[in-house]
Amino acid sequence: MIGKLVAQDVLKIKRKGIWFLTFLGPFGVVALQMVNYGVRKAYLLQQSDDDWAYYISNVSAFSPFALILGIAILTSFMASIENETNGWKQLTALPVSKMAIYLSKFTVLVMLLFLSSILLALFSLSYGVFLNLGDEIPYLELLKYSIYPFLASLPVLALQLWVATVSKNQGIPITVGVFGVILSYSAYVLPDWMIWKWPSLLNQWNEPMINVLFGLTFGAILYVIGMVDFMRRDVK
Amino acid sequence: MEYIVETNQLTKRFGKEIAVDRVDMRIPKGEIYGFLGPNGAGKTTTIRMLLGLMKPSFGSVQVFQKFLNEDRLNILKKVGSLVENPSYYPHLTAYENLEALRKVYGIPKSSITEVLELVRLSDVGNKKVKGFSLGMKQRLGIASALLHNPELLILDEPTNGLDPSGIIEIRNLIKRLPAERGITILISSHLLSEIDQIATTVGVLNKGHLIFQDTIERMREYSKQKVLLSVSDREHAWQSLVAAGIKAELHNGMISLKEKSDEKVAQAVRSLVHNDFSIYRVEEEKGSLEGIFLEMTTEEKSL
Repeated sequence: MIGKLVAQDVLKIKRKGIWFLTFLGPFGVVALQMVNYGVRKAYLLQQSDDDWAYYISNVSAFSPFALILGIAILTSFMASIENETNGWKQLTALPVSKMAIYLSKFTVLVMLLFLSSILLALFSLSYGVFLNLGDEIPYLELLKYSIYPFLASLPVLALQLWVATVSKNQGIPITVGVFGVILSYSAYVLPDWMIWKWPSLLNQWNEPMINVLFGLTFGAILYVIGMVDFMRRDVK
Repeated sequence: MEYIVETNQLTKRFGKEIAVDRVDMRIPKGEIYGFLGPNGAGKTTTIRMLLGLMKPSFGSVQVFQKFLNEDRLNILKKVGSLVENPSYYPHLTAYENLEALRKVYGIPKSSITEVLELVRLSDVGNKKVKGFSLGMKQRLGIASALLHNPELLILDEPTNGLDPSGIIEIRNLIKRLPAERGITILISSHLLSEIDQIATTVGVLNKGHLIFQDTIERMREYSKQKVLLSVSDREHAWQSLVAAGIKAELHNGMISLKEKSDEKVAQAVRSLVHNDFSIYRVEEEKGSLEGIFLEMTTEEKSL
């Protein structure tokens, strides 16, 4: 059942610019480094002995921010596809459970964001190679700093999807999303318990893995809360 | 009798307001059930509960003799619906819209071309629905409802916003279905004339109460039309008619004939002309839905 719904949702996001955004997000993050290194490559290379690590830290200064922004936009798009002509009622009248409907939306979003993360790793790698940062390419680190923020951002995704699907007025999820973006931008000063800080992988223990585990756990909890609320509501 | 839809004391409350009040709906197999009621009577709310879009506050719904809350997914496999305005994805083509549904039903692709043909949208199948006229969107909605060959079709105001030719087209399509495909149809409308032309069974909902449920023939008895005559010197005219053995009544300054066959009307007119009364108008008073509602509700009170 869920496979069929995912196939349906993938069909429905056609021509909505969603695929383009999935590509644009990671590209934009690396493009910022293209500007950064393009303008002052010599200076930046002097800053550290490990050019790759320094480059990765530069890339990952912007990726959490792009990720949160992407989540807000994509969830709102997904919901607006159904809200536009109240597709929810047609969807609910299909022989599928509401749980599956919600899970399918979440799955498609996770797929898109995961794709974005993989693209981020690929783009970072390509530009890094182009910059000639050294022969010892830290593939694992590149992947880690692309995938970890995504996993740590799952609670934000679950929250945004919940707000977007149950709000008639898409202004509400957009507002929540904008606040999230602002918060993630100021991750340094946020307390550790705020979900918008987690994609930055910063915490007082200096251990990114903690954010990932928190992300997975609270992502699951928020997902279940959102789903239960979605199932409970009458479809107008 | 085998009922395809059966509700028991179905009730929906929104806060303090009761939108649907203890409705016992019975739809026999193979019938076109006309679900009639003024705007805001609770028709759409009832239909939403039949599809499981809303949970009843009280009471139960049985479709195909199974309880909706227990067997919802199996029931919905055999139900096609169009609730209020059709839902569609404007950025997708008509074909893609149906393809999205087809994926969920897991039925062969040939069914898409079939239903597109049925609602005569084959030519525009590859155009985006964005550019469709209201009538085309409505037809696409009906195509979506028929895609998986349902046994029960639920159409909520399917002719809303259509032009006369569109209405006739949809009506003919709906009429054909029970015979051709053995479908039972529930069609709601606030227009009596609409229901009158296609339904075989009628349910009338007023302020959440099902105040009438029977065959269309019984319904027609309620909506008897009157023939009214406007004449000169009506007192005497009326007396002369009664004297001639024609059943007539006098009220509101008009003579109303009780028997309204062509023959009887001609007889009355002939008799009046013969007696030198001037006839200004001969008109038919159509039983309006409001009138029937009034009759029904007052009858309900007197019971």
